[in-house]
Amino acid sequence: MIEAPEIDLIYPLTDGNIAVNNLESARRHSWSRFWRDPLRPGIAECIVEQEQLTAPFVGDMGALDRLDSLVQCLDRVEAESPRTTLIRAQIASMGHRFAEAKRYLDEIGAWGELSEDANRLSLSIDHACGIDLEAALEARRWMAAKSRRLEDLVPLAALHADLREFDEADRIYQCALREYQGTSPFAVAWVCFQLGVLWGELIPEAQSSRAEYWYQKAIEYLPCYVKARVHLAEIYLRHGRVKEAEALLLAAIPSGDPEVHWRLADVLAQRGRFADAEAQMQIARSGFEALLEKHVLAFADHGAEFYSGSGNDDRRAFELASINLVNRPTLRAFEQAYEAAVAAGESERAAKIVAAAEHRWGATNAFRFSQLARTYGDKPASERSTA
Amino acid sequence: MSDHVDGPRQIGDPPSDCTDLFAFTSPENPAHTVVAANVFPSAGVTAMFSNAIKHSIVIRRMTVAGVGNAAKFTPGDKEYRFSCQFSVLEHGTDSKPVQRGTLTCPDGQVLHFVVNDENGASTPDGTFRVFAGLRSDPFFLAWIVRDLKKFPNLLQHDNVLAIVIEFDTQRVLNPSEGSLFGAIAETSPLSGTASPIGHEPPRFDWVGRPEQTNMRLNNPALEGTDDVRDLWNQQTPFAMAEEIKPLFRKRLKDSLTNWDMRDGKADWSPDALDAAVNVYLDDFMLFDVSKPMSDTSYFEIEKSTLRGKPYATGGGRTVDANVVDMMITWMVNDDKEFMQGGATSATKPGMKTFPYEASPNTELQTVADSVDLAASPDQVWALIGQFGGMWHPLIASVKLTGKGVGQLRTIETIDGKQIIERLEAEDNSQRLYRYTNVSGLGVVDYTGTFDLKPKGSGSSVEWRVQFLADNQATLIVRTIVATLMKTGFEALTKRFGALK
Repeated sequence: MIEAPEIDLIYPLTDGNIAVNNLESARRHSWSRFWRDPLRPGIAECIVEQEQLTAPFVGDMGALDRLDSLVQCLDRVEAESPRTTLIRAQIASMGHRFAEAKRYLDEIGAWGELSEDANRLSLSIDHACGIDLEAALEARRWMAAKSRRLEDLVPLAALHADLREFDEADRIYQCALREYQGTSPFAVAWVCFQLGVLWGELIPEAQSSRAEYWYQKAIEYLPCYVKARVHLAEIYLRHGRVKEAEALLLAAIPSGDPEVHWRLADVLAQRGRFADAEAQMQIARSGFEALLEKHVLAFADHGAEFYSGSGNDDRRAFELASINLVNRPTLRAFEQAYEAAVAAGESERAAKIVAAAEHRWGATNAFRFSQLARTYGDKPASERSTA
Repeated sequence: MSDHVDGPRQIGDPPSDCTDLFAFTSPENPAHTVVAANVFPSAGVTAMFSNAIKHSIVIRRMTVAGVGNAAKFTPGDKEYRFSCQFSVLEHGTDSKPVQRGTLTCPDGQVLHFVVNDENGASTPDGTFRVFAGLRSDPFFLAWIVRDLKKFPNLLQHDNVLAIVIEFDTQRVLNPSEGSLFGAIAETSPLSGTASPIGHEPPRFDWVGRPEQTNMRLNNPALEGTDDVRDLWNQQTPFAMAEEIKPLFRKRLKDSLTNWDMRDGKADWSPDALDAAVNVYLDDFMLFDVSKPMSDTSYFEIEKSTLRGKPYATGGGRTVDANVVDMMITWMVNDDKEFMQGGATSATKPGMKTFPYEASPNTELQTVADSVDLAASPDQVWALIGQFGGMWHPLIASVKLTGKGVGQLRTIETIDGKQIIERLEAEDNSQRLYRYTNVSGLGVVDYTGTFDLKPKGSGSSVEWRVQFLADNQATLIVRTIVATLMKTGFEALTKRFGALK
């Protein structure tokens, strides 16, 4: 049964295949313009925006490498400017190098007042790292109330979701859809995906049919949306809909995203094609390791998830989850690191992680919904003091 | 930039972004009028139209309702509307996607066409003809507007999606009832969608005269003002609500006052400025089909009317009109001295034959390589930083003509070829120079850049080349350029050693 409401968009959206075709072609053109004149007004910012769309929606992981080359070039031609520093900060943040991004924002602050873009980025980093979420929530509320634009409503909803205020998050996501006045399918597919994650993964007791509906919508708007395909395939797999899962994933193979190969390996294993499954798993493993080698912070949580699952290497999972936890000590990062520690037989470190989570998050509502709260509450008082 | 990227909503889906509108007498047939609307700034080479957007060019008959400081152009009620819609992508025979479109003409005739088909489609009676597809952007802006500093064309090598419609002037517009017309182009949602209660579906964008939004309403030199471009774009052309006009009138007045003072002198009297504001507030492209339209006739109808004189030309806007410099000159010094920006034409001139807008620019090819050397930047730059330097093993001799930027080097290669290159920019403090190829490589738009930076205890040289192959395979040119780089870098590494 689908419990989600129908989407009531104001306008029809541009077909997803046209939108992706145009994004790819405009992105290539922007790079050409950039290499011709890296200081051409607005061109570097345009590329950052286009690559930020390409990475999640097209599943093109090369976006991070390309953006690194953009920064290297700007460093050569205009190293000392607030503009280059903001771009550095945006790209560092995209690669989850949050401390580095914050340093750049501090540098910009030393030049003068932070621009609106820099302020937004600073808020995003605080959110991603779980820093002062109440203050971030206030700021996000203010921005969303002022603009009513989707790009302000979605981060507000995501923040509520991270605070485990799921109904409020759902309400704001749907408000974002109703308020959207554009024709680009990217923004709408993004909200649908977030709603899928909300109901399929973030809430303690997943509502698969609701999540499935939103992932399907995301793919309907943007057929190439690799992450939505992967997440929907997971749901199908859990419910034994192996053929449907396979069809979803096969179409996403050209993206090169290792998660596609990982889930395809799971599909093939369920179908009893173990040799093919192992081949896909090898591709997934080498794909993850290649990404981790270049952008460890960006992919540490995904890598940990892979190795905790069919990647089947609990020690590597724990190592990556620990890296992610140091980088961004969110409640979710604590939960992931704790599970990885337990699976790796690191009970002492698991206990320390729980205690540290309680120390950082214990006073929040979100912590009360977390499995870590139950784990912490079950421990004898002597073990609780290890924080 | 004309109407390019003129609001946050257009940035989300660039095919909804109207960039320019043109209206001119057909160069092929003086009995025909051409109207053209462009969308999608900086479109890539495979760009396609949105299937969720209606593209319209709307024409209304106009009357001169006042002259001098009371100058006013009043639109008639009858509308000549051309509307285009586009399909989703189909698989073409050569695996390239194909898009189809339909044009609904003012008399209800419907034309079906294929996007990028240069022949377009015509009605059987020859009254209407349409083309839609990728073209070289005919607009050029060669100023940094905020500081009014000359700059190379900011849209060089850019493409747009164009809709070009040619029609029989007599049959469609019946000029005997009045030959002055106003046109706008707009992008709007497809009908039948859920619109906000009490409102018609607003348009995404519209354009009348160039630069109404980006240079006048959102004059970058006006500090601390709100961006009203989205609000403007949602107004109804030819019929803007009276209650919203004061807001835009004030913004236009502030903006034109600022423009007038850009040269430090007030050339406009307050009354004349108010009159110009009123004319700009009624934003449409004026053209008179009974008078000649040329590359210089843009805005002449408005200017003459404001000066209390009968207009002499058909106004309009041709593909090659230098509208920005004409407009800046008028706003800054009331046409006392022409203000020429940093470019005199767009990337490509318009064509004299249908579809009039020039063929699209091909994507430039890029070849780049770098080498890290175990020598200080000064040592390496002393060798390679000279435009006439003899360090490359494939070069037999170099002869320099002239000095500084603009000088030419004539290179004889060891296999007897002659290559001529021009120095375009040099910055010895940054250890960088840029050059273009004049002849000898079978290329056009060839730009090379040498850039040397300190790296660790040594230095890093980057050599980047962009080009379009001319009458030879791109792969051959790429191979030649890559070989030049590789051989050059090997020689440098041999001389200075590789940085460990």
